[in-house]
Amino acid sequence: MGEILTAGAIEMIRNETVNSHEDMKPVMQLTELKLFTAQQEPSKERIRVLLSDGTAFIQGMLGITLNHLVKDGVLQAGSILRLDHFVCSEIQKKKIVVIAQLEVIATKSDIIGDHVRPPRKAEHGGDYGNKSNTSNTETGTSHVGQQRQQQVFGSGSNSSLPPSVTRSYSNPSAGLVRDPPPTTYPLHRQQPPPPPMYQNRGPVARNEAPPVIIPINALNPYSGRWTIKARVTSKGDLRRYNNQRGDGKVFSFDLLDADGGEIRVACFNAAADQFFDRIVVGNLYLFSRGNLRPAQKKFNHLPNDYEITLDTASTIQQCYEEDAAIPKNLYNFRSIGDIESMETNSIIDVIGVVSSISPTGTIMKKTGTETQKRSLQLKDMSGRSVEVTMWGSFCNTEGQRLQSLCDSGGFPVLAVKAGRISEFNGKAVSTIGSSQLFVEPDLVEARKLKEWFEREGRSAPCISISREFSGNGRVDVRKTISQIKDEKLGTSEKPDWITVNATIIYMKVDNFCYTACPIMNGDRPCNKKVTDNGDGTWRCEKCDKCVDECDYRYILQLQLQDHTGLTWVTAFQEAGEEIMGMTAKDLYYVKHEHNDEEKFEDIIRKVAFSKYIFKLKVKEETYGDEPTVKATVVKVDKVNYSSDTRMILGAIDKLRTEGSSYGAEAGNSGIGTSGTRDPSFGLPANQSDQYGNQSSNGGRPHGGGGATSCDVCGNTGHVSANCPNTRSENQGQYMGGGSYRGSGSYGGGVPRQHAGSY
Amino acid sequence: MDTSSPSAFVNGSLMRRYIGQKVRTVIQVVGSDVGSVVGKSTDDLQIIVKGSPPTTTTPSTYLEVIGIAENENSIRAEVWTNFGNSFDPVNYNELCKLANGEFKHLFI
Repeated sequence: MGEILTAGAIEMIRNETVNSHEDMKPVMQLTELKLFTAQQEPSKERIRVLLSDGTAFIQGMLGITLNHLVKDGVLQAGSILRLDHFVCSEIQKKKIVVIAQLEVIATKSDIIGDHVRPPRKAEHGGDYGNKSNTSNTETGTSHVGQQRQQQVFGSGSNSSLPPSVTRSYSNPSAGLVRDPPPTTYPLHRQQPPPPPMYQNRGPVARNEAPPVIIPINALNPYSGRWTIKARVTSKGDLRRYNNQRGDGKVFSFDLLDADGGEIRVACFNAAADQFFDRIVVGNLYLFSRGNLRPAQKKFNHLPNDYEITLDTASTIQQCYEEDAAIPKNLYNFRSIGDIESMETNSIIDVIGVVSSISPTGTIMKKTGTETQKRSLQLKDMSGRSVEVTMWGSFCNTEGQRLQSLCDSGGFPVLAVKAGRISEFNGKAVSTIGSSQLFVEPDLVEARKLKEWFEREGRSAPCISISREFSGNGRVDVRKTISQIKDEKLGTSEKPDWITVNATIIYMKVDNFCYTACPIMNGDRPCNKKVTDNGDGTWRCEKCDKCVDECDYRYILQLQLQDHTGLTWVTAFQEAGEEIMGMTAKDLYYVKHEHNDEEKFEDIIRKVAFSKYIFKLKVKEETYGDEPTVKATVVKVDKVNYSSDTRMILGAIDKLRTEGSSYGAEAGNSGIGTSGTRDPSFGLPANQSDQYGNQSSNGGRPHGGGGATSCDVCGNTGHVSANCPNTRSENQGQYMGGGSYRGSGSYGGGVPRQHAGSY
Repeated sequence: MDTSSPSAFVNGSLMRRYIGQKVRTVIQVVGSDVGSVVGKSTDDLQIIVKGSPPTTTTPSTYLEVIGIAENENSIRAEVWTNFGNSFDPVNYNELCKLANGEFKHLFI
């Protein structure tokens, strides 16, 4: 009967000689059937089959139209069929024969062939309960409902058995009696001795053939019953969680097998309790009867599309004999130079020599809890160094160890597994929950690094990629002066950094500078105010020393104004020098030493009405009882009209698109408005003012500014500076701050074409 | 300030609205002839300015001209101002568009 089957057909399919019915229509025997429902199409049942050509096996799927054959019993385990219409596709590196059309040559037949060559990875462990076979025993049907069948598809082990045994494949009691024939073990790697616990089961026993070990990379949700042998490379803590479904606990661990396959395993609730204590990092275990599901890439950075979930029915068996084929850990080290070009937030492994390490600091997290942080510099052969930050418990364990090694003059090698690349002022590496740190690991790379370091690395210059670009941390936020009050800038916890385009209206002349302590404190001078001892020396309280010569540092109180408002700011040394055009010391000498009043006044006058771009730090400070918002000039730049204009054009556009309603104008934070415009609508029409201009409020156009309207009284036809209500007070009051009404009034002069809102 | 004869901000394409009227525009000098200067407007159209510029105009300097628009691409200049070499035509162009469009009421 063996001639009936097309010998070697499966081999040809595997090596792609045969890909579809166009190449060949082989005759095969169906040895197993399994009904399942595809995830994507829950309403459709599909039947998986195992086909044999007498020597080998291959998995297949029946087209839906063929399902009835199975249901009617025409097609069953043992049937011989010819594949009239099929294609081969490769799923997860396995070949699957998808059959669209077939012809049943014989419905019933004994299993043919002497299957010497064991089927490849995924062809075992299938839930091959034969549902439609009317000769099912009861126990057989009870299996079908189960998720993980205990019946190992007797891959290969069928061959030398009498047909009767295989026919009653679904008869579990037969399985008990039978000893697995040693010759037909599918040997992928070392075969562990059949664990005893698999064989002693009750009458409802399952077919307990020894587990077939498959590589981790071959795991997929369609693998039926599988077993993997792997080493635990990392183990997470037992975590408790609370979600809509209630409370729970979970822990996870990562596995590595001899092929380099890695996968994460999670155990929930009861399973967590069951297995938590048994899993030890570095030990080898056999795992089976786990569930596979797609990996959560967000938390799981292992290179596997799936992750395993174990439940209470899963089994873990420790392997006591060592397996050198399975490494302790798999690394994919990148050189530090590569990190520069890698994407932020990606997960990498890195190894390097620790050139320096700082003590642990405590950081307050956003959530309010505190956490430990410790950073070190890591150098490697690429000539680059990177800052590695460790968080939490790492600080005290590996961190401390590294610190002591460094303190005693050593330069230990550190390997980081699963560190995340972060970006702030360049790139840096931080530890995450699943990171692992290895101090002085026993790896080839570690040895190489040590040698390199001894030879040249110690003294070689290393460019740090971690603080290279001390870039513009803050984006230039352009505001108008009135927005400082309107938006209550500076009142939140942190200071606000803004940029304004404003003119210096006034500068306080007294106390434009102070006597400062020149003593260096690290790399910065102390700069605290020193007191005059009277004898020509100056005393600094902070440094507790006296100096003969003090520094003079600017502390300019300036009043800035733009088209929306006024504010006082303080400018210190650097900004001061830029504004005044000379050092504080020189200016001080001009005034006090040389007593050159005229020159001094000249200089001061030049400052007034100069326009700059000011970068301000705005913060609310409490003096006594009162909190006041204070602004400090951080940087002064000359106005670049071209770019400024563009900014304004952009703002105009923005205004436009926000609609032309008055509400939109007033609310527009991009430009700022003069706050007190509303009264204009409330007033009766046809106001005539001092200038004899008839103006009617009704005629005032809506949208985009309009006829000049006064901010103070709301009338049209004039502006606040000329307002009959306030005019007498305002005129002539340029310097000295004082009685400016409202925000948005002009300093003086006749403002042309004052558009109420920009 | 003498506001008796206001001039409208125009670029190349807006000139036609003001034929016969006083306009002002900025051009980038392309070349010069006797009695006229050929320039490029801020919206990349060619403008001819009749009259004599105050100094020899080197190509690529920006000149502001105020004068009567004779037709849609030539001006009879009355006032010339040298704006130098660094001038942002894009901004000026936008100004012209705004000054003749949405915000016309703010100008003449």
